[in-house]
Amino acid sequence: MRGGERLKSETAFEEMQKHYQQRDLAAREWKGKGGKVVGYFCDAVPEEIILAAGFFPIRLSGDPNGDTEVARQNVIPRFTAREGFVHSMLNMLLTGQYDFLDYLVIPHTRDSIHRLYQLMAMLKESNPALTLPELFFLDSVHTTFFSGGLYNRDRMLELKERLEEWSGKEIASEALSRAIAVTNENKALLKRVAALRAADPPRISGVEALQIIGSSMFMLKEEHNRLLREYLDGADKFPVRNGTRLFVSGSPLDSLQLFEIIESCEATVVADDNCWGNRYSDVPIDTSLAPFEAIADRYHNRSPCSRMYPMSRRVEYCLQSVLEARAQGVIFNVFRNDAAEVWEIPDKTKALEDKGIPSICFRNQPYLISEPEPLKASVEKLIETIQGNR
Amino acid sequence: MTNERGAAQLASANAIRAYQREWLEDTRQRVKRGEPFAICNGDEFEEVFNIMDIPVIVINYWNSIIATKRMTEYYGEVLTKSGYPVNYFAMGLASTIDNDPETAPWGGLPKPALIIGGTKSDTEMKVLEIWAREYDCPFFPLDFGLDAVPELPKYPPPPRWWEMMADHWDKLIDTRRLDLRVEEEKALINFIEVTTGKKLSMAKLEQGLELLNEQEMLWGKARDLIAETIPCPVSLRDQLAVYQAQWHRGTVRGRDFIKAYYEEVKERVENGVAACPNEKLRLLWMAGTPPSWARWAEDKYGAVCVASLFSSIPIDSYYRAVINGDVMRALASRHMVLFLETPDWRLKDAKIHQCNGVVETATPSVPSFNKKLFEEAGMPLCQIPRDQDDEEVRAILSSFIETRLLS
Repeated sequence: MRGGERLKSETAFEEMQKHYQQRDLAAREWKGKGGKVVGYFCDAVPEEIILAAGFFPIRLSGDPNGDTEVARQNVIPRFTAREGFVHSMLNMLLTGQYDFLDYLVIPHTRDSIHRLYQLMAMLKESNPALTLPELFFLDSVHTTFFSGGLYNRDRMLELKERLEEWSGKEIASEALSRAIAVTNENKALLKRVAALRAADPPRISGVEALQIIGSSMFMLKEEHNRLLREYLDGADKFPVRNGTRLFVSGSPLDSLQLFEIIESCEATVVADDNCWGNRYSDVPIDTSLAPFEAIADRYHNRSPCSRMYPMSRRVEYCLQSVLEARAQGVIFNVFRNDAAEVWEIPDKTKALEDKGIPSICFRNQPYLISEPEPLKASVEKLIETIQGNR
Repeated sequence: MTNERGAAQLASANAIRAYQREWLEDTRQRVKRGEPFAICNGDEFEEVFNIMDIPVIVINYWNSIIATKRMTEYYGEVLTKSGYPVNYFAMGLASTIDNDPETAPWGGLPKPALIIGGTKSDTEMKVLEIWAREYDCPFFPLDFGLDAVPELPKYPPPPRWWEMMADHWDKLIDTRRLDLRVEEEKALINFIEVTTGKKLSMAKLEQGLELLNEQEMLWGKARDLIAETIPCPVSLRDQLAVYQAQWHRGTVRGRDFIKAYYEEVKERVENGVAACPNEKLRLLWMAGTPPSWARWAEDKYGAVCVASLFSSIPIDSYYRAVINGDVMRALASRHMVLFLETPDWRLKDAKIHQCNGVVETATPSVPSFNKKLFEEAGMPLCQIPRDQDDEEVRAILSSFIETRLLS
């Protein structure tokens, strides 16, 4: 946040920023008051049902600067996909940094995530002394056909039943409707944040946006909505940002490092297609449908994750997002061993080229960027290309 | 053809090797005449194509041919030039992108009528989708094919799960997933019928599953003979070469290939023929291709690799009894779960093959789940950094054999 007078929106941003940095803060407070916490991976787990059950939902994330030694001592050989990110989360689980979780929902998404279920189940079995939350495997298909939607719906119903079992009470339709209203409001407010970032000129940075969006996954939604409203109230006073408009596509990004590097080059990341970024909030739940069915429908048809078939949906989503944000260039960032993401790059590059939009690709990236200078040099070169094309 | 150090190569294995080449040429001719041809992910559906008399190439088999022809580096460069990562699973895709019959093994593959495969991994579905686009043919994705995630209602798997897989597979597979998979496979069969004009009947499907089960049962009997006979009657190379018959399961030919194999192994046992007469130690090699250091270990220590990761797959994994008369369900269960990679299964193989030790490739910094179980069970396990016959690997193996197996 920039500017002179300390605005209400600035305070709201700082509060969201605090929760982005101290991701367990709100959950621990909730736990301290006697509440229970349900952790989950990815953007494929319906927070709405967890909220309606009276639990605190928190999306698990890693720490690029954290240790991974304990995780690496426990992983199955060949368990290497996106190892930095996944090992970091596993390490935190195994070393008690997520000791406030009562339950953990692991969805059938990318290989590196869904295999955590198998691994953690085996670890629990072989070492009963290990304190891990109770696990629930949320199965789903990787295709988007009608029959798969029915399958996913039934699995989501089982999650609902399990949550009811955990809470000891039935989840009423009204509770689901209330949860939908809260999360839909959150998505709508986050869309306004996305619009500020994609404005011409942009009013907020990508680094700021990632923190605002991310904090939504670590806080109670009502509180986050309140902060968002306060934040957006002062939006007309936000200073404009100059520089090149860039878009980031690629592996899920739960830290700021890459965006900080990019935006240190007189650029703004005006949008992204990341599940820790705009993709988290771009599809609301249809309130004209029965609430549970609407939730199931939304998660089956949400904006595509790179693990989903067909790839053409991903390419189209990326291209449309770039065009809508009027990005001048695109940076692909792919973690080491992120097999789902890396195969899409040629198609996305081609689709962008056809529209005259240049791109660069950072492949095989470590979770912690220890050498930012080469990336920075590449970004600067991309910017030069864009400016040369004007 | 005689192996100068022991028994001749198995005639039955050579027959399978030779047939594969004939098969591809025949397939090419059939495709030229306008018949359909399919590309299928390994172990996911190919017996249905076999039963429908639609030639099908299994992707991992085709990739292994490319590797055998030492073309992985060349095709890796093709992938790189196209912007894709270098990945073994994508070697077939690379050969299609390259589009050079002069360079491709066996002159390359004919254009398929369709490609099918499961969504089993981050990589595979993407590769298949891109591959189908390169061929301008349909891709039909199937959910849950040999998925690495729990197919089981409960995880970890029950002990000695392999004893349940043949007759009680329904206890090992998630019913809900299986329901969907059966529906998807029915839809796929409809699609194949429309696309290719070929037909499938339940009678043919049932007959195919019977042939499949017979083939795997004979394979199991051959495995038992190999396991219980000292010295080992069949080289690991021949054991693995025979594996190609798996691509013809569900057919009379596939069954007969393995029948001949079993009979030849039996004859060797009766005649006391040894693959390596110098056998003094028996090893289980935790891989699917013969180790590059095998000959050195045999010559220096009489240490013979008698079993591999594939030794028990036919009998422990492929056989499926029909439960409640539901053939589709039995077959679909096979497409969803082939085996469960648990250390106790591998330990069982080492024991039944009367092995003195086990060798696996492992990164030193990553602990092995196998090692703990194996060592606790009194089965020494050696970890080598790579499958390469070099000084470092030989030194590790020498130390292991001399200090753990011979001392």
